[in-house]
Amino acid sequence: MTDPYKVLGVTPAASDEDIKEAYRSLAKKYHPDQYADSPLKELADEKMKEINEAYDTITAQRKAGGTGARAGGYSAYNPVGGGGSSAFRDVRSLIMSGRIADAEQLLNGVPGERRNAEWYFLKGSVLYRRGWLEEAKDHFSQACRMDPGNGEYSAALNQAMNQGSGMYGGYSPNMTTGGCNSCDMCSSLLCADCCCECMGGDLIPCC
Amino acid sequence: MFGYVRPNKDELLVKEYEQYKAVYCQLCRVLGRDYGWPCRFFLSYDSTFYAMLALAVTNEGLSPCRERCACNPLKRCRYLEGDGEAYDKAAALTILLAYAKAEDDIADESPLKTLGKRLLRPYLKRKARWARVRYPYLAACTESFMAAQKEAEESGASLDPCAEPTAQLLSKVFGDIAGEDPKKAEPLKQFGYYLGRWVYLMDAADDLPEDLRTGSFNPFINRLDLWGKASLTEDERKRADEFCNAALNRTAAQMALPLNLLDLGPFTPILENVVHKGLPELQREILFLHIKEKPRRELKNL
Repeated sequence: MTDPYKVLGVTPAASDEDIKEAYRSLAKKYHPDQYADSPLKELADEKMKEINEAYDTITAQRKAGGTGARAGGYSAYNPVGGGGSSAFRDVRSLIMSGRIADAEQLLNGVPGERRNAEWYFLKGSVLYRRGWLEEAKDHFSQACRMDPGNGEYSAALNQAMNQGSGMYGGYSPNMTTGGCNSCDMCSSLLCADCCCECMGGDLIPCC
Repeated sequence: MFGYVRPNKDELLVKEYEQYKAVYCQLCRVLGRDYGWPCRFFLSYDSTFYAMLALAVTNEGLSPCRERCACNPLKRCRYLEGDGEAYDKAAALTILLAYAKAEDDIADESPLKTLGKRLLRPYLKRKARWARVRYPYLAACTESFMAAQKEAEESGASLDPCAEPTAQLLSKVFGDIAGEDPKKAEPLKQFGYYLGRWVYLMDAADDLPEDLRTGSFNPFINRLDLWGKASLTEDERKRADEFCNAALNRTAAQMALPLNLLDLGPFTPILENVVHKGLPELQREILFLHIKEKPRRELKNL
């Protein structure tokens, strides 16, 4: 087995805190949720397993130091679930097993009058996995228009819109670069004080 | 390609910047050595990125050295030599893409405008043939890319199919870096796909005002219903820029995932800088500052 310290990118001399920190940042990087829709899911899972094992090995070795085990394993989730009453159960299972071309063929064979909201959602999912992100977004929004109450469809559309806003890469014109300065801190504290006062408490006694 | 894939220099450490320049200069040297002195002019940011990614992924042995610069004999440059094929592949790709772009421009633009390229064409063609002999796979990729691109644009396809050829091109040439190792090839292909898609969309967004003026094909025109408009009002321009930006962001969001799965060794900070800071910066410059339309004097104050 490879050196667990090397897997986490730390030296054997690193403190427990550093190791936890390194583990956390790597876990964030490889977190399966991010890869749920990606064909790279298996690779990411493998990486995740690797760092989990490395972390466990190190904590076991250092048990005398008293570091706690990591809080729970990460489980993957897949947005295209195998819905029980779904009319397109075969398509869903094809998408879940990564057979995108087959799923698309089945979908394209559905006649126009049977293309309901779910059809648009699944077609959007297929397009998304192929990298045709713009058409995917259009299909998701069509699905939402046809069935506005469905959580699955609106979650997919939301994700597409959020990715468009620059939250996950790219450029966002409205992003403030400064973060939080002392002026912001003071005014936030004053606001918090006002809120406390109207509920009967007090945060800053002098004002 | 188009010179869009470059780092955000302000955010690099000095040593990272030096390292980037050393790869850039070495690629220039390899171009001169393998394809003749004039081919150094085809050096681009994109091929430097490719060379650097190939060096990182294949974990080549590196040896830095200092020598006189070929273009400016008074300057001493740092070079970063590699012991593998990274630079040779990047040089071949540079030539092949320069040839593809020249052919494309000659076909698209007016004969007068492309006079220089027409004169250059036989020379470039000969060089591209050399590159093809050395790396037939890369040549096959660029050739199928040219054919597919022409077909997509002639059929007036929508945004996603138009971006497909460039995306596939980068997906294939990036996948080629890893050789037989599927653990590296898969993320590289994915990464290349979205980077290629981003480059195509960026180029299309960049050309939009010009294409409207000349009435050339541009996938965004179709998409935004701008047919028959020679120029855009301020509101229309803003809407178009924001639409392009959202499409680019959606694509950029997909790049981080495969990049995370690659072990890039000492080049990690530079390559991550390109993806996470360099590309967004270019979106800002082109779509929000419109730097190409401003006189040079004004650019200094930005």
